[in-house]
Amino acid sequence: MVETRLGRWPVGRRIDISRTLLISLIPYSLVPILALIGAATIDGYATKSSLVSLLILSSFLGLASLGQTFTVIAGGVDLSIPAVIGMADVVITQLDGDRWPFWLAALVILAIAAVIGAGNAVASLALRVHPLIVTLGMGLIVTGGVLVWSHDSISGSVPQWLVTSVSVIGKTGPIPIPAIVILWAALSVITIFMQRRSRLGREIYATGANPSAARLALVRSRWALISAFVVAAVLAAVVGILFAGYSGAADDTVGQPYLFETVTAVVVGGTSLLGGRGSYGRTIAGALIISQLTTLLVGFGFGPSMQEVLLGILIILLVIIYGRESHVSTRV
Amino acid sequence: MSLPVSEGRNRAQERQPAREEHGTLLEMAGLSRSFGETQALKSASLVVRRGEIHSLAGENGSGKSTLMKILSGVIRPDSGDITWDGRAARFARPRAAQDAGVVMVFQETLVVPDLSVRDNIFLGTDGLLRHRRGRRQEQADAVAAVNHLGLGHYDIETPLWQLSLAEQQLITIARAIVRPWQLLILDESTSALDLGQRDRLFAYLREERARGKSVLFTSHRMDEVEELADSVTVLRLGATVARLDRAAISSAEILRLMAGRATAQRVEEVSHARHVRPLDGPEVLRVDALALRKTSRPMSLTVREGEILGLAGLEGQGQVEFANCVAAISRPASGTVAVLGKGGGWHRPRGFGDANRYGIAFVPRDRRREGLFGAMSILDNFGFGIYPELSRLGVLRKAAIRQRFAEYADHMRLVYGSASAPVGTLSGGNQQKVLLGRWLATGPRILVLNDPMRGVDANTKEELYGLMRSQASSGLALVLVSTDIPELLTLCDRVAVFHEGSLSALLPTAGTTDTDVMAAMFGQSTEVRDDE
Repeated sequence: MVETRLGRWPVGRRIDISRTLLISLIPYSLVPILALIGAATIDGYATKSSLVSLLILSSFLGLASLGQTFTVIAGGVDLSIPAVIGMADVVITQLDGDRWPFWLAALVILAIAAVIGAGNAVASLALRVHPLIVTLGMGLIVTGGVLVWSHDSISGSVPQWLVTSVSVIGKTGPIPIPAIVILWAALSVITIFMQRRSRLGREIYATGANPSAARLALVRSRWALISAFVVAAVLAAVVGILFAGYSGAADDTVGQPYLFETVTAVVVGGTSLLGGRGSYGRTIAGALIISQLTTLLVGFGFGPSMQEVLLGILIILLVIIYGRESHVSTRV
Repeated sequence: MSLPVSEGRNRAQERQPAREEHGTLLEMAGLSRSFGETQALKSASLVVRRGEIHSLAGENGSGKSTLMKILSGVIRPDSGDITWDGRAARFARPRAAQDAGVVMVFQETLVVPDLSVRDNIFLGTDGLLRHRRGRRQEQADAVAAVNHLGLGHYDIETPLWQLSLAEQQLITIARAIVRPWQLLILDESTSALDLGQRDRLFAYLREERARGKSVLFTSHRMDEVEELADSVTVLRLGATVARLDRAAISSAEILRLMAGRATAQRVEEVSHARHVRPLDGPEVLRVDALALRKTSRPMSLTVREGEILGLAGLEGQGQVEFANCVAAISRPASGTVAVLGKGGGWHRPRGFGDANRYGIAFVPRDRRREGLFGAMSILDNFGFGIYPELSRLGVLRKAAIRQRFAEYADHMRLVYGSASAPVGTLSGGNQQKVLLGRWLATGPRILVLNDPMRGVDANTKEELYGLMRSQASSGLALVLVSTDIPELLTLCDRVAVFHEGSLSALLPTAGTTDTDVMAAMFGQSTEVRDDE
């Protein structure tokens, strides 16, 4: 009797660990599975132009969700991302209309975004208010501010190369893929390295995992929070500038879908909204899942409302599964 | 072994000649109760007679609170019998205990500051829609209760926030005594009272005793037990070890019973075996005229290189505050803590980060909440202390970190599968090793630990003792809080005992017994020795 029990223990434990591993592989395996389903059921899904356009959509979402991944791991969330995307989109177009050199305009926009991001973090720290509330307010301020500044009359356009960099037929030097995808890939490599190997990267995790322990471990929590929100805002501005090339017209509401889509990409990838767990690699998978799923659902003839319903079901299903996983591994 | 006993009140003068016995009011026998793995009560028994004031004595964790909570219906025992007024009883709910006549005053001052004295007294007695007793009756009862307790000068409509903390504590007692009671339970209810208020309360309790009512009380102050109690029940490790009658009550005897013969012997043996190290290294920590609270007596002491200083005291007596002040996590009411810098100068750290720069490391009490990052890897949890040192341009030198980890894991005999597994998968003892390793790897001069052996199994404890001793012999000064007296006596060079926010005794462990430490915990010793 005793022997059986002793014999069963390690086996049971191994099952626990392999289940954890299995669950962590879900987002990564969903990406090729969805691709195969698409290729098998929808004509033209596997063509180059279709795949490139899928990658462009994923790049927008992936870049917008990059900073969101950092803020969520640090224990916060950034709801001002859509406003900053809209701000960048409008301002880059407007400044072009005012005959500013493109790079100067872009630099000014990125600097403004950095200030907005730092403001989010500093206000949250100083007022001891959850970033959820601070960034919600910041989003309103930014959106309102842009409308006041531009007087609702936006004129101008963006350089042709910017348009090409986000179009299906675009090339990056000799590579037959538009620049936005290359940019996403490059930033992904840097981000993943930064999360795994840099001191600040680990400190962002520690800040989200256990703020009071972080203080006593001399983790630079303030700096970690500030950098997470600065990255989120700057990347949102980058997405906004690229959007100006994609849509060709200035629109301050262009970022609105990214409020929920960035959070969804992060969560579907398996990064915990409670902070301290997850990675950008997972968010990349999340972004690819969402853009593929959207494409598939359009292909199946579902309207936007039905797409949202199904996306919602997916989120709930995955969160239920991930919830079980975290229960096993965060036990102390 | 002589016990330093302070001049207590004259007992004989307080005690009246033995009155006639009124018989047994309450008898509890064979009580046990577990909370998860912890067995709070094993085989506790308690007898309270009619018309007696009975004291319940025992260390922290001896099961006093559990026993009183069972009696007042807050928790239920796993097994055991309760006989109330000659009949078998089950106090399944607080209301059932109250209906029988058991009223309890809890240790915490549970009051609503914005409500009046009267409303605080009758808190919880009202039905949903009506006052149980008439308005006029309430008025009279409240006035009588506050008069008994010496608060008659307050209008009972006064909002409670206008009263001092001690007066608020008296209101919680008033809340108990307005109910029809047979047995009044006071759990550390005198801790905030001044002498006059206490004497007034004692006088009231004696009047009620004369009417045949019974009182059960606990106190951290032995002089109060000696002065007030007709009989004492001593609990140790969840079991009743003795019931002392009036003639047998002395603080020395109670302390001896609380500590237990077995423990005393063990410590005796160990202190014989113990190698007394000469502490001739330089001073690394100076505490000067430090008052932890506004009401504390200032204290001064120094810690030398290689010394292990233990901090002892009953719950909340200042030992933890002292540890926090040394690590500059909190500030004292007055006085200074200075640490020897690497250059030989003395520094007063302004905050924890500052203290750390001068070589002070801190291991908090609650590993899960304040120490570890449960979801993160063992390597990360170990590494946060050395990440600043082992990174170049913000990039971690993984190879160097892994090597340092391997060294410490080996040195501390850490049992783990993979360094990248979540730290939460380790046992409590191994988690503690990771946390200790985090700080030892930074090469501190002073390591402050708050109850590091909590939730650590016996074998790992021995390993950690060995580790701390070897760190001390290589020059690290350790300052550690512990609730385990034998542990303090075997591990430390000196033990600083705290009572009511002040240093009560500073005892070299050579030649000290656990009874001495316990006496100091109860404020019985005013002997403060410093080697300065």
